[in-house]
Amino acid sequence: MSGPRYERSKRQDQHLIGFECQACGWVSFPEEKRTCKRCGDAPAEMEEVQLAERGEIQTFVVQQYLPDDIETPQPVAIVDLPQEGEGEPARAYGLLTETDLEEIDVGTEVVARFRELFSDGERPINSFKFSVPREEKA
Amino acid sequence: MRDAYLIGAGQSDYGSFPGESYRSLFRTAFENACDSVPAGIESEDVDEAIVGTLGVGGRQLGLPGPAVTEHVGLHGIPVTRVENACAASGYSVRQGVQAIRSGMADVVLASGVEIMTDVSGDAVRYWLGVSGETEWERLSGTTFAGVYAQMASRHMQEYGTTREQLSHVAVKNHENGAKNPHAQLGFECSLEDAMGAPTVADPLNLYHCCPTTDGAACVLLASEDVVENYTDDPIRVAGVGAGSDRVGLFQRDTYTAVPASQYAADRAYEMAGYGPDDLDFAEVHDCFAIAELMAYSDLGLCEPEEAGEFVASGTTKRDGEMPVNTSGGLKSKGHPIGATGAGQVVEAFKQLSGQAGERQLDDPQIGLTHNVGGSGGAAVVHVFERGLGGDAA
Ligand SMILES: [Zn+2]
Repeated sequence: MSGPRYERSKRQDQHLIGFECQACGWVSFPEEKRTCKRCGDAPAEMEEVQLAERGEIQTFVVQQYLPDDIETPQPVAIVDLPQEGEGEPARAYGLLTETDLEEIDVGTEVVARFRELFSDGERPINSFKFSVPREEKA
Repeated sequence: MRDAYLIGAGQSDYGSFPGESYRSLFRTAFENACDSVPAGIESEDVDEAIVGTLGVGGRQLGLPGPAVTEHVGLHGIPVTRVENACAASGYSVRQGVQAIRSGMADVVLASGVEIMTDVSGDAVRYWLGVSGETEWERLSGTTFAGVYAQMASRHMQEYGTTREQLSHVAVKNHENGAKNPHAQLGFECSLEDAMGAPTVADPLNLYHCCPTTDGAACVLLASEDVVENYTDDPIRVAGVGAGSDRVGLFQRDTYTAVPASQYAADRAYEMAGYGPDDLDFAEVHDCFAIAELMAYSDLGLCEPEEAGEFVASGTTKRDGEMPVNTSGGLKSKGHPIGATGAGQVVEAFKQLSGQAGERQLDDPQIGLTHNVGGSGGAAVVHVFERGLGGDAA
């Protein structure tokens, strides 16, 4: 994979740390801290913010038709992760794992973890995995 | 500003053609475009050519422009390849208009070509994916159907849009495509068939997705200084608008609209001095059924919450108040990525010049084309009107 993925520090990979644009409030997560993707402020004044582990599904898809080596059905979601303090949530994208398809809907609460998805041979490729919190499962 | 006019347009058949090459399909489209010019045109009249193509399969990935124009007798002129994913040739038409308006050319060929069906399933999936957002969406294995399905999920949740309404897009576009001799899937389908199709990316099923296609389309543009040499029935490019956005859906501020389409439409309407109420028809980018519903509202034809009913009520059928995709759209006519935008202009030309055969509308005067790249990283809109228009009208 290209560029920005490798620019993140280990600390960023292992903690849910975002960067809040001080001009418009957009939370960049997890990669960009020089330019704001919403207001275009550059160089943007970004402040580090801690994100909650639990967020809400904004929208999702259950993919059925995929290359043979990918397990289906495969659910993927866009999740908003709120800040620990005040301010806008950050947007995260990734796979839903350990979750029943019936549990998935817009508004469903999920836990976000940043995990190794696969290795490109040299280093792990990390991405988000979301799941419905276990204690809330029937 | 110097006006640009549409003087001719033509396409190859869209479909799967093992016996054809990108060169032969391009030649067919070029010859059809030349034949459509009322007073005729010679290859040496063309000052410049623009070729839109993504380059599915690799092939002539570098210099694909001259590689096709050398086969239609366009020698020595400037030729440029435009890449903007599925909006490549919508942008080549826009670039043609720019060349004419700037005064650098009087006659321009704006075109597109793509061959997609001769590569293996995995390879075509790879090439379909290359315009997706790479860091996150592609890494997690999300296909374009998957990205548009996320828009559909949210649209259904926010506006109560139903699967049945999405299926009406397929039924309508197939009804039109069945009357288009160039269409790839030129057959009618019932609502029952459309709803019973296998799931691709829930909530989208196979009939909510366009096919992969081989095809080429060519559009001939002329300046106001020379247009009379070619036609007594000119079609003016009244407005052009284009826009871009974040490539990944999850990084946008909305999942139920395509902001790049809104930017493009606003700019095109402003330049044309026309609005959605003035249109007699529109060719929109229905790569997936949800994309056509979002196009309705992004182009100002209705509100987002009305989009599902807008199609289900028959408003956008050929005999409805606001016909959309009389060609059959990407769904039925086909979607040869690099040729799609120019192909939409071919339909606008045919409708406005009264050559749309069985699907001809009743004397339309103003039409719009809407072409989107990827899931909305790029969009381009054109407004065409019959006559000299503008100050000359
Ligand atoms: Zn900002």
